[in-house]
Amino acid sequence: MAYKEQNKNIMKLTIPFYLHKVGAGFPSPATDYIEDDIDLNSHLITNAPATFIIRVQGKSMVNVGIYDGDLLIVDKSIDPRNFSTVITNVNEELVVKTLVKEKGVSYLTSGSKSISEKINLTENPEIIIWGVVTYVIHKQQ
Amino acid sequence: MSFINSSKKNKIALIDCNSFYVSCERLFNPKIINKPVVVLSNNDGCVISRSIEAKKIGIKMGEPYFKVKELVKKNNVYIFSSNYALYGDLSRRVMKTLKSFSEKIEIYSIDEAFVDLSHIQEKEIENYGKEIRERILRWTGIPTSVGISNTKTLSKVANNLAKKNKSGVIYLKDNIDEYLKKFYISDIWGVGKQLSKLYIKNGIDTAYKLKNISNTWVKKSTNVSGAKTVMELRGISCINLETHEVKRKSCCVSRSFGKKVESLEKLEESVTTHCLNAAEKIRHDNQITRSITIYIRTSPFDKNRKYYSNSITIDLPVATSNSLELVKAAIEGLKKIYRYGYFYQKAGITFSKLTESSENELNLLAPIMENKSQTLMKAIDFTNAKYGRNAISVAKAGINTSWKMKREHFSKIDTASFKDLPMLKI
Repeated sequence: MAYKEQNKNIMKLTIPFYLHKVGAGFPSPATDYIEDDIDLNSHLITNAPATFIIRVQGKSMVNVGIYDGDLLIVDKSIDPRNFSTVITNVNEELVVKTLVKEKGVSYLTSGSKSISEKINLTENPEIIIWGVVTYVIHKQQ
Repeated sequence: MSFINSSKKNKIALIDCNSFYVSCERLFNPKIINKPVVVLSNNDGCVISRSIEAKKIGIKMGEPYFKVKELVKKNNVYIFSSNYALYGDLSRRVMKTLKSFSEKIEIYSIDEAFVDLSHIQEKEIENYGKEIRERILRWTGIPTSVGISNTKTLSKVANNLAKKNKSGVIYLKDNIDEYLKKFYISDIWGVGKQLSKLYIKNGIDTAYKLKNISNTWVKKSTNVSGAKTVMELRGISCINLETHEVKRKSCCVSRSFGKKVESLEKLEESVTTHCLNAAEKIRHDNQITRSITIYIRTSPFDKNRKYYSNSITIDLPVATSNSLELVKAAIEGLKKIYRYGYFYQKAGITFSKLTESSENELNLLAPIMENKSQTLMKAIDFTNAKYGRNAISVAKAGINTSWKMKREHFSKIDTASFKDLPMLKI
């Protein structure tokens, strides 16, 4: 367990944050403007015990901006809004869906699928919202 | 007003995770919800956690796996090898969630904690318990039971009742005796095997009977903690919440082998690995050790082979947390107790007489190298934390480690490591 704690410290990646953009070749005045380190954890995670990082595999959610291999930051403690990306259990499996609210009824839709394949949440009470996706981490290069 | 306050009784809640290891496995695996599930101990040895469904089938806690294999097959029970990285992370999340209610908590084990709720109004306490339960379930996905009463011992009783209650929350205040009359003596917190034997011999077989025993008899026949239990059953708080973590005095790492081990070489690998793990642990806590014990044994149940068990303790000239020195001492010790011709089942090491690293008195024997080696150890710990345990190791630990743990049903999910994050197919 000690090993894990240490791992967390490494996860806390901080980058010096400059208030001013500085032209190349004349860096010294910049040091006066270093305010604080930037902390990605505190930016991406508001409620640590309730936040999980999940890796996705597959291409069905490309149109909502989720690509193969991306990392999802999932918060279990917050309520989903209209058009929130959510993790939910459908047919005994965890899946990524979009929550859509229409005239007081909530539906789950998958990215590219047609409207007819949407799942009515009131008609399927066994389906629960596992968590709400707050950020997607996508490797660009 | 102050008079009323001082007569106010403590309120202590015990929060206990339901079938904790099973609940952890279920978090990312909805397929096994409402199905019989069992988690096995190290080396897939015994049942250490089971779901209600598995309990109903007749699978008992602590039973060896081979004994329940038939039941498992017949009832399609889902089996898991223990995944302590996952359970550890979820445990920390549960405890952190609890701390959002009160800082006054005592983490009692990986899946239990006491919380002081004395500041909560009498009429709100049951709802408060429900709120604790709901928040832990929502945030972490782990179901819990909450037992609340005036003492730690009674909160344990309350928790036992809450496990059977639909709401999962019990505030034990009225009719306590009714419950205590049905509460079996050996189920009481702090009453171990020996003590319950003694009580039963004297006709005390329920918590109610123990509560009404005479003080002189208890003091005469048991010890201080026995008397404390009796007082606690009467609603008088005697065992305080230990909210501060106590640094460990010793550190032990041991494992049973997946396959029996005969050669000294293989034992050396295992002892070295245990030594490295323990050294990393104490370094993390900024501690050093003065004494190291190595032990090995064969299986006591193997009737076809001779039994052998031995241990040796080596006192180090200078307290240290240096992996290389500790491994050297451990191997020397192992060579002294190793006997050829036995099939070893278990090996372990214990560091004792641990002290704070800063308390390290100046010692003429302390090599000047110590500073350098500390830097080396830090570099090793950092690299291993980053690239996975044993990325850097010592050659003695071996590469082909056939003695390693058997984990045939391992879920391989670690919510606290980028390497093994839960995966979703979309």
